Amino acid sequence: MTNSLEFKSSFINNSEKKPALDTEGRNLLARPRFSLRLHILLLFILFSFLSMAIIIGSVIVINCIQKKISFVQTTERYLFYIEQARRWEKNYFLYDTNLEDAIQITGNAKTLLSQNLKKLMTVLSAEETANMIENLEKYRSLLQELTVLKKNGIVNAGKKHKIETSLRKHGAEMVKVAAALVYKEQNSMNAMLRLIQRIPIYCFAVVLLLTIFLVHFLSKRLIKPFNLLIESTQRIAKGDFSLVPPICRYRGEFTAVEVAINQMLKELKSHELTMVESHKLRAVGTLTAGVAHELNNPLNNIMLTAHAMLEDHNGLSEDELLEMINDLINEADRSRSIVRNLLDFARESESVSEPLDLGMLVSETIKLTLNQAKVSGVKIETQIQPDLPRIRGDKQQLKQVFLNLILNALDAVEKGGNIKINLKKADSPGFLAVQVEDNGCGIPSHILPNIFDPFFTTKGSGKGTGLGLSVSHGIITMHGGQINLETEEGKYTRFTVILPSRNIPADFNKT
Amino acid sequence: MKENLEILLLDDEAIVGNRLGPAIEKVGYDVEVFEDPKKALNRINEKEFDIVVTDIMMGDVNGIQILEEVRKKSDKTKVIIITGYATVTLAREAMDKGAFDMIAKPFTPDDLRSVIAKAADSLGYKKIIAKA
Ligand SMILES: Nc1ncnc2c1ncn2[C@@H]1O[C@H](COP(=O)(O)OP(=O)(O)O)[C@@H](O)[C@H]1O
Ligand SMILES: [Mg+2]
Repeated sequence: MTNSLEFKSSFINNSEKKPALDTEGRNLLARPRFSLRLHILLLFILFSFLSMAIIIGSVIVINCIQKKISFVQTTERYLFYIEQARRWEKNYFLYDTNLEDAIQITGNAKTLLSQNLKKLMTVLSAEETANMIENLEKYRSLLQELTVLKKNGIVNAGKKHKIETSLRKHGAEMVKVAAALVYKEQNSMNAMLRLIQRIPIYCFAVVLLLTIFLVHFLSKRLIKPFNLLIESTQRIAKGDFSLVPPICRYRGEFTAVEVAINQMLKELKSHELTMVESHKLRAVGTLTAGVAHELNNPLNNIMLTAHAMLEDHNGLSEDELLEMINDLINEADRSRSIVRNLLDFARESESVSEPLDLGMLVSETIKLTLNQAKVSGVKIETQIQPDLPRIRGDKQQLKQVFLNLILNALDAVEKGGNIKINLKKADSPGFLAVQVEDNGCGIPSHILPNIFDPFFTTKGSGKGTGLGLSVSHGIITMHGGQINLETEEGKYTRFTVILPSRNIPADFNKT
Repeated sequence: MKENLEILLLDDEAIVGNRLGPAIEKVGYDVEVFEDPKKALNRINEKEFDIVVTDIMMGDVNGIQILEEVRKKSDKTKVIIITGYATVTLAREAMDKGAFDMIAKPFTPDDLRSVIAKAADSLGYKKIIAKA
């Protein structure tokens, strides 16, 4: 019973354990969704519409041309009718033949016109159409008049002649108009044909341009995020753990990657913090030997002084007594500052950024290592330029950096070696430089690319952690600075830490 | 023969000399106190001491060097090494090079006096040192 209950609850827990998203993650996801898939789909739809438009357009144009052709045929037929009518008319004048056929065929022409009146109106103006019909009717009526005259046999030469002249005139006019119409319509049909010949070329050009544009756009949409991701990973590899910016305005396939990378960055950051912390504890271990020695001196002084006072308390003069008491106080003070300096460094603390006197910080750090140096018979020379501007940063972390560099230098030199530490303004304005130089073994060029890697060490197991330089690099990068290094095998190694300064003199609040 | 044992005491911590000088003199030795190892070395070259007490860790010169100097000068002189933080290697080195004994900081005047007494004993001075 309990088992199943437990199972159930763990199941619920699991299902509720969605990746805990922070605000950045949620912001990334809150962007309007516009995935690549949607992109491609939209493009596909666009292309389909385009081809459909082309097809419909072609159908419409072909339809138009068909109508045009039939209209042109109509006009041609009309022209044929009236030409035929005029041929009968000519026969009448030459051979005095019948006009019945001419009347018959103009009737045909008239029916044809009235059937296609609407179409005609679209091509010709109302006036032209009216004119055309009027001409035809006039011609026809003149023909009929002539026929009547001929049938009746009345020879009214004057009237007949008049009618004949008018007939010729209208006939010619009628043919002219019809021919013009035919010519015009043929031209317009040819124009249409030419157009439809060109349509495929236009379509091809448009599709080509569109394709080029889309390929460009899509590849940009694909390649830009990739490049950004590559940039980010390179930056991350260098130890810059700031979050990746949104790759594009919309939420898409890459959003998941961004969210994942940002989550990884958070983890890395917290791992780095623990690494810094654990490495620090290791350094504290190294220091303890030296610090114990350092502590033994004031302790010994206190012990000897106290015993002297105990042994001679009767015979001591006031002045001697006072001197001893002062010694006691001073030596107790000395012990306190030794312990405090070590604890200052060892204490686990949140990373804080505060204005710092780099000179003081460096000398405090050197103090931590002085005895270590004494034990190994190494001289440490310090040169600190006074009145330098302050820097901003985390005291403990920066101490850790200098400590790492000094301890490395101590490891590198032989007995009787020399370590020079100096603090001055860097060459570039607004920066301070701390140099830690030793005349030790130097770093062989084949391991140079690796020394900043985590866990890379040339020191035997149990001696080196390989974390010193990697942690230091991380800390200095976080402070907006950098670590440079010059070395010659067997001669010297010089690490230079460059940190941005603020323009406030170091003794600003001492006054 | 000399009336009193002659002792050279060297430590770069001034207070050590200030307190131990009188504490040793009090029990009947002649003591010369030095803070500066170089001056002490000069003095060692001038004069043969019976016992040399030296700190092992000092700025420029360390106790081992003093021991070596003394050995060069005479075989008789007993060297007592004061160590701050007894490192095994240093201690072994000192004993190999013929140090008489070591004494670790922090110690009391009595600790040193008893080591000195042992050294004196081995030098043949049977004089019993009374506790002050
Ligand atoms: N001053 C130096 N001189 C010579 N080699 C050095 C120096 N500083 C660092 N190195 C080399 O860089 C390696 C990595 O150093 P570090 O990250 O501090 O790790 P660790 O000191 O634990 O080995 C060292 O093992 C050593 O080979
Ligand atoms: Mg190191």
